[in-house]
Amino acid sequence: MLQSLLIISRQAPWSGPGAREALDIALAGGAFDLPIGLLFMDDGVFQLMPGQNAGALQQKDLTANLQALSLFGVEDLFACKDSLADRAILPAGLDAETIKVLPADEIGALIDRYDQVITL
Amino acid sequence: MKFAIALYSAPHAPSSRRALRFAQAVLASGHEIVRLFFYQDGVHSASNSIVTPQDEQDTAQQWSDFVNEHKLDGIVCIAAALRRGVLNHEEAQRYQRPAANLDAPWELSGLGQLHDAVQAADRLICFGGP
Amino acid sequence: MSTLHVLSHSPFTDSRLSSCLRLLGTEDALLLCGDAVYAVQPHSLPCDALEQQHARLSLFILDEDLQARGLECPDWATRVDYATFVELSLRYTKVNTWL
Repeated sequence: MLQSLLIISRQAPWSGPGAREALDIALAGGAFDLPIGLLFMDDGVFQLMPGQNAGALQQKDLTANLQALSLFGVEDLFACKDSLADRAILPAGLDAETIKVLPADEIGALIDRYDQVITL
Repeated sequence: MKFAIALYSAPHAPSSRRALRFAQAVLASGHEIVRLFFYQDGVHSASNSIVTPQDEQDTAQQWSDFVNEHKLDGIVCIAAALRRGVLNHEEAQRYQRPAANLDAPWELSGLGQLHDAVQAADRLICFGGP
Repeated sequence: MSTLHVLSHSPFTDSRLSSCLRLLGTEDALLLCGDAVYAVQPHSLPCDALEQQHARLSLFILDEDLQARGLECPDWATRVDYATFVELSLRYTKVNTWL
C-alpha cells in the first residue's frame, strides 16, 4: 500500500526558490506514480494568478511547472478559499476544472485523507 | 517505529539544531531513522566548510558526527545543493569549481530519495524555518 | 486521524499561527518551538487567543525554548522535552511542520 503525501505550498512564486522546490517535490512524486496532493494556501495562492511575467525578473516561468503537474499524474490540486478571499483573488480566474477550491474548515479533513504532509 | 527526517534549514538556524536533537531522541527512544534528507537551505547543514567560533555550537559538524556514529543514510538533494554551492568532489570536477565542501557520510541524490523515505517510514518529520 | 502541527515562527511577525488555528481539527494538537513559543507571552494578543480556545486545544511547548526566553508554561499547556516530542509524533497519525 503506497503512502500518500500532501504538499502544502505557502510561498509566493517570487520569494526565492521555495515555491519551485515545493512543486519539484510534487513532480518527483508524480514521476514515481505516488499518490500526491498539492494544496495552495496563504501566499502560495499567488502562484495561481493569471498574467504573471517571469521575464521581468529574468526568472523561469513557474506556470510551466504547474502545467506539468497533470503530465506527471499529479491531479489532486486544491486551493484554500479563505487564502484566495484574503488576497481578493477571484476563484473564477482559476481553472476550476483542475483546481478544487476548499474553505479553511475543510482543509483539516483534506490533511486527514493523506498519510503524510509537507508544508513549505 | 521508523522515522524519515527532512531538514530544510542551514546549520545556523535554530531548527537545524532542533532537528538534530529530535533525531538523537528518536534513536535514544529505541526507534529507527530510515533516512535523513536535506533539502532547500538544509543542504548547508551538510557542508564541511563551515567555521564556527570555538565557543559556539558547530551544528554541521555535529550532524556529520551523528550520521557517522549511527551509520545513518544521509542524503543531500543534488539539485538544491548545486544551486547553493554545496558540492562533493565529483560535482566540483564536473562543473570545474575550485573546491568541494561535501563529503562522507553525506551523499548527493535526487528528490526520489525523499519519496522513497516517505514510503519506507511510519512518520515523516520536517524541520525548517527559524 | 489526527495531526500534530509544529510551529517555530514568532506569531507577532508571521501568519502561520492564525492560518494553523483556522484549520486545526478537534483531534489535532499544536506544538510550539523556537520563536513560536512567544505566543504564550502573558497578556499578549496571541496568548489571549490561545487561552480562549484552550478547552478544545491540545497545546504542547518545547521546554528548552521556554527556558531560553524566560517564559513560563501556562497551566493550560504542557511543556515537553525531545523524548516527549518523539512520543507525540507517534501519538498523532502525522506531523505537519509549518516550514
